[in-house]
Amino acid sequence: MAALLEVEGLTKAFGGLVAVNDMSLSVSPGEVLGLIGPNGSGKTTLLNLIAGTIRSDAGTIRIGGEDVTRLPNHLRVRKRINRTFQLVRMPPNLPAIVGVMAGVMYGAEPKRYKDAEYEAAGILGELNLLLKAGYRLDQLTYIEQKRVELARALATKPRVLLLDEWLSGLSPGELDGGMSVVWSLAAQGIAVILVEHVMTAVRALCSRVVVMNAGVKIAEGPPGEVLRDAEVIRAYLGDDDAA
Amino acid sequence: MRVSLAIIALALLVAALAAVPWLVSDYGLGFMINLMCYLVLTVAWALFSGTTRYVSLATAAFFGLGAYTVAMLIKEMPIYATFGVALVLGTLMALLVGLVTLRISGMFFVIFGFGLSELMRELLVWWEINKTHTMGRYVFVPFNTTMIYEHLLGLAVLVFLVGWLLRRSRLGVALLVIGDDETMARQAGINVPVAKLVIFVISSVFMTAVGAVMAPRFGYLTPNFAFNPLISFQVVIMALLGGMQRLWGPVLGVVPLVLLSEFLQVRFPFWFSVFLGLVFMIIVYFLPRGITGLVEDGWGVLRRPISLPRGVTGPLIDVWGSLSRPISLPRGIAGFIEDAWARLVRRQPTGGR
Repeated sequence: MAALLEVEGLTKAFGGLVAVNDMSLSVSPGEVLGLIGPNGSGKTTLLNLIAGTIRSDAGTIRIGGEDVTRLPNHLRVRKRINRTFQLVRMPPNLPAIVGVMAGVMYGAEPKRYKDAEYEAAGILGELNLLLKAGYRLDQLTYIEQKRVELARALATKPRVLLLDEWLSGLSPGELDGGMSVVWSLAAQGIAVILVEHVMTAVRALCSRVVVMNAGVKIAEGPPGEVLRDAEVIRAYLGDDDAA
Repeated sequence: MRVSLAIIALALLVAALAAVPWLVSDYGLGFMINLMCYLVLTVAWALFSGTTRYVSLATAAFFGLGAYTVAMLIKEMPIYATFGVALVLGTLMALLVGLVTLRISGMFFVIFGFGLSELMRELLVWWEINKTHTMGRYVFVPFNTTMIYEHLLGLAVLVFLVGWLLRRSRLGVALLVIGDDETMARQAGINVPVAKLVIFVISSVFMTAVGAVMAPRFGYLTPNFAFNPLISFQVVIMALLGGMQRLWGPVLGVVPLVLLSEFLQVRFPFWFSVFLGLVFMIIVYFLPRGITGLVEDGWGVLRRPISLPRGVTGPLIDVWGSLSRPISLPRGIAGFIEDAWARLVRRQPTGGR
């Protein structure tokens, strides 16, 4: 299938540190692409660049063939790219539904206040959160916070969804539930990029995996093959274990 | 049904307020004008600062702009035309200031707002001395205190209406979210700088309008008087005292503080600023959510069903127990104050910047 999101030669340096160096990748509709690598390898920075949270130094980002490299964060949301954050970001002092409503009202298919309320409730309902709609962030459990944030991202009707360690820190039962959510998103035709350390989830969900180390891509392919790759093992575990 | 009853009650309240000039003495009307003036300023201030959490000290800049524009033009054109010019100038200045400053945050914005009103004051003083060779202007027009009061009342109704509509609008939700988490607001697709700019302009135009309407009240205006920084500070204190979580919150701050400052200015004219500063400190330390917060907490306690698992005697025994316990201050009075302080700090609202 034709790629929905195409990233080419993306580069970002913070002072002398090149956090993301000449990265290229592509995702198709309905595909779950795993993005893995050791801590500090530039995965989150790459997500920040694609979502528009920070600007890139070089390279292009295209969605559906359209160049969005120069667009600011909020306009990329309207081009149907959205994300969750590694540390959940929702308004701390407002009811959960307000953040979701904001997504509905300012997303790719903007709605008026009245309609937004119904639609936000519907999205929360799909994620089994309807009863928590009036709760503040600190009144929710960890998994509920993550789901509320996902609801906010889905409210903007994304075609590309970037999940930054969305499955990390969950109990085995919660992990199953989380994985089936990601699965159903892909089944709806959303292109998902999954930054993840939980390898069970990566193996189960991803048809393809990109491995990063020190800002560059060191391997790409089906998870089974890539995780046996000598360079990947060296990146994770050091030289001694790569033999 | 409930909504229509509320509307009738509010209409009656406005009608009663509109009848005030024929019911009270001249002194009473002067007091009501003062009250309405600060009410509109504070609600307008809270529209912008309450949602975006930018503390603005630019109130005096816009109030002064409105007042002094009217004072300078009153001999050239009819009074409503001067109001119009003032509003246009206020909008332009708000757009300009907003575009320049809404990208800076926190402390810098506070200082900028203060600097802006001081800059305008000094510029006008320089202009009047060197170019027009006047110092101070007379505003004598057939626009009596009743007219001033009714216009301020109209502005008050309008500013509450705008605030009420805002709560139920896209912009209102955007501002709430921006105030809580700007990064997340962008990720929801909100154009953060534009949303901030729009509400800043709306708020500033109301402040300019109040200044313009108040100009005839003063009769004689100098730049030092029109751009008095005390206005900015008083508005902040009133809004903080009232609390900004509710639209009506500022009312609870304006009424007691206007009463208090009236009393202080009459009885202790030289100590006025000192008392005002003390009030400010007390509010910030002890009432972080303002009177609105107190009212809501009290209401929450009242609404909770009373549970007496050990009967009426249970609480009595508890009270007696706490009273009969010897007072112990293991770390002295200083320790007690420290603990109280720690409790207060924890009660501060979270999520600010």
